[in-house]
Amino acid sequence: MTIRPTIIGVLAAGCALGLTVPQRALAIDDAEFNALKELVNKQGQRLDQLEQVHQQDQKALEQDRKTHDQDQQQIQSLKQQLDLTQKTATDAQTKAEAASQVQPIHPVPEGRDATHNFTMVGDAEVQFGKTDGSHSAFALADFAPIFLFRARDNILFEAGFDVALQNGTTGTHDAGSGTSVDLSFATIDYMMNDYVTFVAGDMLLPLGTYSERAAGWLNKIPDDPMARDFLPGSGIGAQLRGAIPVGSSGQSIAYTVFGANGPSSMDGSGNHDQLDLGGNVGIKSDGTSGNLHGSPSGGGRVGLFYPFKPHYDFELGLSGQAGTWDDADHRLWSAGVVDAAVHIGPNIELKGEYIYTWQQTDDVGTIHPRGWWVQGAYKLAGLNLELPMINNVELVGRYDASRDGFSVKSDRYTVGYVYYLTNTLLFEGDYEWLESTDPGTDHNRFVFQVSYGF
Amino acid sequence: MTQLSSFMESWRRSARLLIVAAAVFAISLACLSAAEAKSDKEAKPEKKADSAKTEKKTKYSGAELYSMHCNRCHPERYATERTAGQWKTIMMHMRIRANLPAEQAKAILKYLQEDSGK
Repeated sequence: MTIRPTIIGVLAAGCALGLTVPQRALAIDDAEFNALKELVNKQGQRLDQLEQVHQQDQKALEQDRKTHDQDQQQIQSLKQQLDLTQKTATDAQTKAEAASQVQPIHPVPEGRDATHNFTMVGDAEVQFGKTDGSHSAFALADFAPIFLFRARDNILFEAGFDVALQNGTTGTHDAGSGTSVDLSFATIDYMMNDYVTFVAGDMLLPLGTYSERAAGWLNKIPDDPMARDFLPGSGIGAQLRGAIPVGSSGQSIAYTVFGANGPSSMDGSGNHDQLDLGGNVGIKSDGTSGNLHGSPSGGGRVGLFYPFKPHYDFELGLSGQAGTWDDADHRLWSAGVVDAAVHIGPNIELKGEYIYTWQQTDDVGTIHPRGWWVQGAYKLAGLNLELPMINNVELVGRYDASRDGFSVKSDRYTVGYVYYLTNTLLFEGDYEWLESTDPGTDHNRFVFQVSYGF
Repeated sequence: MTQLSSFMESWRRSARLLIVAAAVFAISLACLSAAEAKSDKEAKPEKKADSAKTEKKTKYSGAELYSMHCNRCHPERYATERTAGQWKTIMMHMRIRANLPAEQAKAILKYLQEDSGK
């Protein structure tokens, strides 16, 4: 029975020991505690710092990843461009090899400006008028487009048409209508240099200036001068033309020299009434080509343009044409024209022509159809009245005459006006007194016309 | 002789008409010269003030050439009516049709293209 007290005694000693040791362990001093505390704090701070650095590293890594992706995309793009460049180089080499087989026709165009251009200009006229002995009527007088095609800086193709509407006929009475399309001119123009231009085709002939400078919206009076009927307006042929500056104040001498098939005979004979000024176009009715008579016709014009200053100028020209006209080449047809124009300021214009022709014939010898016209125009803007609409009015007057080489004498006096609705839309009106020894043409007439130039 | 007489008669008539026409144009020339002399006289004080300027203009600008040539046959066309390419084509046509000296035609074209439409 002594074991139990031993055990109890050991247990008590153990308890006492257990109680005292912790007290001794708890019994660390403040300095050590503070040191330990400080150490823990420092560790904590360090841990925070490491956490921050880790986060920064994460961000940097993310940024690097993005940069890497961008670099990858750029590399892809550069690879594609490289492929394209290689393809272009290959194509260029192929083209160069092909081009070396082709001989270019010089001169080869340089620069990036387009060398070809198509432009349309022209005019159209609508009339209302009355001729003595007829009823008044509206008429589409003319639609005249001009097509201009520029192939290069010195090559132009131009063609003008006259489209007109006219009554048909039953033989005894007008019925229905027909549209006629007339080729006024069609030429290829080649500017060889600054002084010489080669023109070929269906040319407006330089007999005077009326044919070359006439158009519905330019003429100021709707009817052509009567004497122009004695001249061919156009002819198939070729010409050289140009202008040479003279002096130092804008003066120039203009010249034209041409060759054409020339007038012909309607029935081949040299009878005076068979003269055909508009035919002989080089391709016959059976489709073969040839002049209707053996010899072509030739002619030319030389003119002096003398400007004193803008709007003050003077022009004088001399022109002519000569050649045979009957099939046998025995009869000569020739013409001479003197033309002149004066501008005295922006408001006054005077111009005119004198036309003389010689026609050798089989039946009546040599006849001399001839005529003349003089026209003056005055813009009321010159009065400086400052009234509405007045400044847009231009008064026009013309005297023209024709002598047919026999007994018919015709004299016409025309007065009229042009009202400029715009610079290209004109409203014209005129009254014509025609006195003629031919009763069939002795009549007066009035006409109003709206013409538009485009 | 009859043929010769009638030929001489027609020549006399033609000559009379030519003389009348020449007289009309001589009078017109006189008017033009007087107009130029008047404008020179009016401009004299300005010329005296500026002795560096030449007395007579020796070269026209594109605008002056335009007003000189392009109003002879038709009303003025405005530069904005056409594009530069169209003016080039039209001026080729006009240079040939109106027999304009090449340098003057080029100056007019340049003037038109500067203000051409789009």
